[in-house]
Parts: sequence; structure tokens; C-alpha cells
Amino acid sequence: MTNTQYPMHNKTMNTLSFTKTDDIGHLELNQPPANQMTTEFFSEFNELVDELRIMNGLNAIVISSKGRHFSSGADLEELLEQVVKSDEGIHPEMNENWRALSEKNYRSFLFFEETEIPVIAAIRGVCIGSAFELVLSSHFRFCAEDAVLGLPETTFNLMPGLGGIRKIADLCGQAKAIELSLKGNTFGAEEALQTHLVDRIVPRRKVVDFSLAFGRKVMKNYKKQKAPFYLQQIPLDDPFYI
Amino acid sequence: MIDKKITDDIGILILEDPPQNYLQKPEFIPVPELREWIEGNHLKALIISGSGRHFSGGAKLDSIFAMAEVREPMEDRMEKGKELLDYLQDLDIPVAAAISGVCFGGGMEIALACHMRICSENALFAFPETNLGLMPGLGGTFRLGERLSLQDSLKMILGGDMINAEEALLLKVVDTVVKNEEPLAYTLHFLRKITIDRPLKIINYVMRALKNSKRLPAEESMREETRMFCDLARIESNRRKTKTQ
Repeated sequence: MTNTQYPMHNKTMNTLSFTKTDDIGHLELNQPPANQMTTEFFSEFNELVDELRIMNGLNAIVISSKGRHFSSGADLEELLEQVVKSDEGIHPEMNENWRALSEKNYRSFLFFEETEIPVIAAIRGVCIGSAFELVLSSHFRFCAEDAVLGLPETTFNLMPGLGGIRKIADLCGQAKAIELSLKGNTFGAEEALQTHLVDRIVPRRKVVDFSLAFGRKVMKNYKKQKAPFYLQQIPLDDPFYI
Repeated sequence: MIDKKITDDIGILILEDPPQNYLQKPEFIPVPELREWIEGNHLKALIISGSGRHFSGGAKLDSIFAMAEVREPMEDRMEKGKELLDYLQDLDIPVAAAISGVCFGGGMEIALACHMRICSENALFAFPETNLGLMPGLGGTFRLGERLSLQDSLKMILGGDMINAEEALLLKVVDTVVKNEEPLAYTLHFLRKITIDRPLKIINYVMRALKNSKRLPAEESMREETRMFCDLARIESNRRKTKTQ
């Protein structure tokens, strides 16, 4: 049975897929096991976000990943290789392309942060670097007990480049933002919950379904600050009770 | 009045006038002198602490009134104090206050200008100025207001209420509470852990990104961040190239 109120909009790309069921969109990173954010991923991701910007009948978005891990973040080797090529003049246009791409990336991340419908990240396994920045751009983060989170960029002589520092400062203060981005260490679900970087720990096999069910119950134009829910008390098996 | 030390590229400024470490004047160290010391030694972080049992009891009342008798110089001196605190807050390296015992008035103003505050279990915080017919004069009303609700900051500033370490942690006036005697050692260890092996440039960029995020609209702050990221990526790829040659 097709629902005319909520037009279908499914999309399968090389590195990710998007499924719309009724008014809930589900974005899945689809390159298991690492779901690395390659240049190809980012260009497909940006293309999808441009469609989301004008999509009708969408009332919540859930972001998750196929397989064991959420994502190990950007592909640093590929990224640095591109810089070398552009600097050596092999592909002089590359530098500009790369710059344009990274500008598009942050605009896409900002879309999730600023959109008026709730964005929920369901995190299993490793979620570090740009991937952690992506879930920080979401409004809710539910993570499995096996989650590993962090911003390791500075350990590679780089820095978080997609808003992670700002989001951590907003969520748990500038001292924590300085610590996590300079130290570059990873941490688990429990620590993330205590520091308010995630909103709830949900058993691994339930975290995606829980996020989808939660999304179904959260209203349009919802602002997290006015959350009427007590997140920790929602029954795992019946998030619909709200 | 100020003792300066350097350990592992981390600068330590000690307010030196025990037991209360009263501040003789708002500008407890001249900005040019501080800048030269920080930049000349390529410091990666800065700690401000007090000598002995206390952080600082703030300004001595009689020195304020003595200063007030001549109108113009007092305003100049207050401005200089503000410039110093703004300079500390704007530094592109982490600045931490390691606080034991009392942290009142001007001491509180200094602590609030730092990027992070670590205090001992016996620390006490207050803006007693209004009890003395004055008010916080170095930006403390603004800096405290940024962290607290209007109700809580009025309680502290207008009520002159004193809070202990536990309450300060709850209100997020401090970031960490440690055992008595340990704030300086803990802060030094903490800053060493986050800055060791990190080139100064990365520390500067991370701090700049953090400050941009408070002052610029999200879009602009993200653009700046991307620009700094690209700059680091270029440096890193060059470094790898030279290494393989």
C-alpha cells in the first residue's frame, strides 16, 4: 500500500543509502566494516543533503551505519595524497576542487545542525574523527555500549575540521573541548554519557530501531532545548508510549 | 609580586603576596612583559595560581580607596587590568587557573578570564564587592553572566554570596575539583598530557577554532576551521614528503 501523504524517496548510492518510510528518513553509511568517509563518500553525501534540503514530508532523520562500526572518519591518506598532488602541480585544479569539497562538507554538516526537524544518530562501534563530528551535528545521539568515540585528528598533526570543537564546547564546556581535541584520545559510551556527549546508551541490537521509533514520535519544528521527554526513562521496547 | 616559572613549555604565573595574595593593582603583570615571556619561550599553555594556601583575596580595600581619590589614574588602571584579562582570554594557548583556598573579587575576575578552572575541595569563591559598596569592575559581571543563569549570577554579584568548591562545580564555575594541595600539580599534569607532542601551531589553531565558535556565526566559524584544517593538511603532507625523500 502506498502512502500518498508521504511520497517515496529511496536512494542507493555507492557509499550510502537513504530510505524514507512514511515521514522518517533513514540515512545509512554503507561501506562496512569501516564505513570510511572517502572523497567519494563526501561527494555522494553532499549530493544527498542537497536533496534533503528540498524534500517534502520529512519529519525526522536517523543516521546510522551498516555493519559493526559507525565510521572511522575521513580517509587521511587519500586526503593528504590529494594535497601532495595539487602542490606538485600534477593536478593543479585539485587544490581548488578539494577546497570546494571541504566547503561543501561543512555546509552539509551545518544542514543537519540547523534543520528544523530532529536528527538522531544511532551509533554502534567506532565513531571517530569526522564521523564523530557528523553525529555531533545531530540533535540526539543514542549509542551502543560498545561505542568508541573521539577526535584523534591532532595525533595525526591535523585538527578537527567540521565543527566538532564548537559542538563539544556547547555540550560540555570549553575545558572539555580543549582536552578532547588536543589530547585526541578515544573514550567509551559510559564516559560519553557522563559528559553529555551522548544522550543515552541503548543495547547494540536495539539502537537503530529505538532511534527510528524515537524519530517517529518527535514532532516537527522540535527544538531539543524544550525536550519534554525524560530520555533515560523511555522504555526500550516501547518508545511509542511517549 | 608575580613569580614566573616554566616547566615543559608550560608557563606558571604565581600570585605572590601570601597569605591572601592581595592584588596591589588590577594589572598584576604588564601585558607587554607577559607577551614577551609567552612568545619568547614558545609556551604551549599557561597556568595562573596563588602562592601558598590561597589563590587570591582580590584587591586590598584601602588600596582601592587610595587609588579612587585621584579619578583619572584609577580609570586608566582599571582599563589596564581589563586589557590584561582580555589578553589572557584571547591567548591562542590554553590558560588554566589552579585555585586553592580563597578566590575573591579580583582573584575571581582572573580565574573567570581563564579557559579552565581547577580548584581544591576547600576552595571558596565570591564577589564580595557589593558588601563593600562596590561592584566587580574587571568584566566579572559579564564573564560570570556568560556561565550562570541570571538568578545565580545575581545571587553571587548582588548578594555577595560565597560558594564552595562543590557548588562551584555544580554551577560549572569550575571544571574540576581535586584534593587539597593538588590543584597546581593536577593542572600541570593535565596540560602536559594535552600539549605534549603537539606542535604549537596545532594548539593555536584548536584554540582559535574554539574562540571563533563563540564569536562568529556558525557558517563563518566553520569556514575558518576548514581553512585552518587545509593549512595543517598541507604542512603535514609536506612533512611526509620530506621524510620519504
